[in-house]
Amino acid sequence: MKFNSILYISALSLFGWSLSVSADWQQPELSHNLTKINKIIPASDFELQDMDEEPVRLSDYKGKVVLLNFWATWCPPCIREMPSMEHLQNKVESEKFKVIAINQMENPDDVFAFTGQLDVDPTFKILFDTSSQVSQDYAVRGLPTTYLIDKQGNIRYRAVGGREFDHPEVIKIIKQLAEE
Amino acid sequence: MNTAIHKLRLFRKCLIISLVLFSSSVFSANVTIHKNEISGLLTWSSEDNGFSIELIQLLPDFVRAIYAKHNFPKNEVERAASYCVFGTILKNTSDQHMSYYVKEWRYRTKDKTVKLMPVKTKSQWLEEWRKANIAFSWTLLPDIGEFEVGDWQQGFTTIKLPRETEFDLIYKWRLDGVLHSGVLENLKCAPESLAE
Repeated sequence: MKFNSILYISALSLFGWSLSVSADWQQPELSHNLTKINKIIPASDFELQDMDEEPVRLSDYKGKVVLLNFWATWCPPCIREMPSMEHLQNKVESEKFKVIAINQMENPDDVFAFTGQLDVDPTFKILFDTSSQVSQDYAVRGLPTTYLIDKQGNIRYRAVGGREFDHPEVIKIIKQLAEE
Repeated sequence: MNTAIHKLRLFRKCLIISLVLFSSSVFSANVTIHKNEISGLLTWSSEDNGFSIELIQLLPDFVRAIYAKHNFPKNEVERAASYCVFGTILKNTSDQHMSYYVKEWRYRTKDKTVKLMPVKTKSQWLEEWRKANIAFSWTLLPDIGEFEVGDWQQGFTTIKLPRETEFDLIYKWRLDGVLHSGVLENLKCAPESLAE
């Protein structure tokens, strides 16, 4: 098991390294486009555990705009967009907006160790979808996928692939949703 | 009767020839090849009609590590690593809706020993993993992509070929409902390990 962890981290480093050596060339630039959902789709409620093994429900955040992000540590664009999620959360008043990042099928201890290595320490909620049931409920095909949920609990915007979430256009959309 | 059979054979020949011509003439878009100066691993990329594709050679040890970490049985780890695996980045570079279906993609070897085989899909892998009591369902390139403006995705593409085999990948996508296709020629499976 320990060998696996070492090999995994080495491999992640190798993969990250192979991508980052020529990162500008290889990795697509992160855009800030969010796709508006024209139909009214209620966001499925769920209950997942956070890093402290405390249960968290999406409905706990009703009345706030929520950026719901599906991610994993082995997913390079997920890692790239994380700092922008942290900046975004800091730029919008906390009583109006929350970021929730739902990790897919990984061990909380590994995720905790992983977040400690990031340039920006995430303070937003990280939840653990250990069976990927919630990602299935949200029809997530690949990581990262992100939904923007309004105060009434409806999915209003979607983004497939990494994004620059602290872009002024995204902040503007969130503030508009918060004022509705 | 003989004339009818002759016509049928002629029709089949024409059909095969036109399919071959179609499959080798439509494609060969602008392909950029990049060699990582440190690892020597190769990346191929191409962009055409709103569809950007990038394939990055992955070492078998990387594949082993990913699946071992997710508690796959040893035989399943080795089975996944036995494939020719590429990190794949797909992106919608247009301002329209773009979609792809991996089940429409094919590969063929340069020496013609393998002729137009379907690329193994994520669904096929998941079905095999389910039978092996593996619940993990990530890392592979999704079978279907429905991309709006700015959307992109990445995941593993798996090709059932030995190490360092050269092959062409024929892929298709739809831009605003219109079917397009392309080919990445002379792709090469990664070696077993990095050269010293």
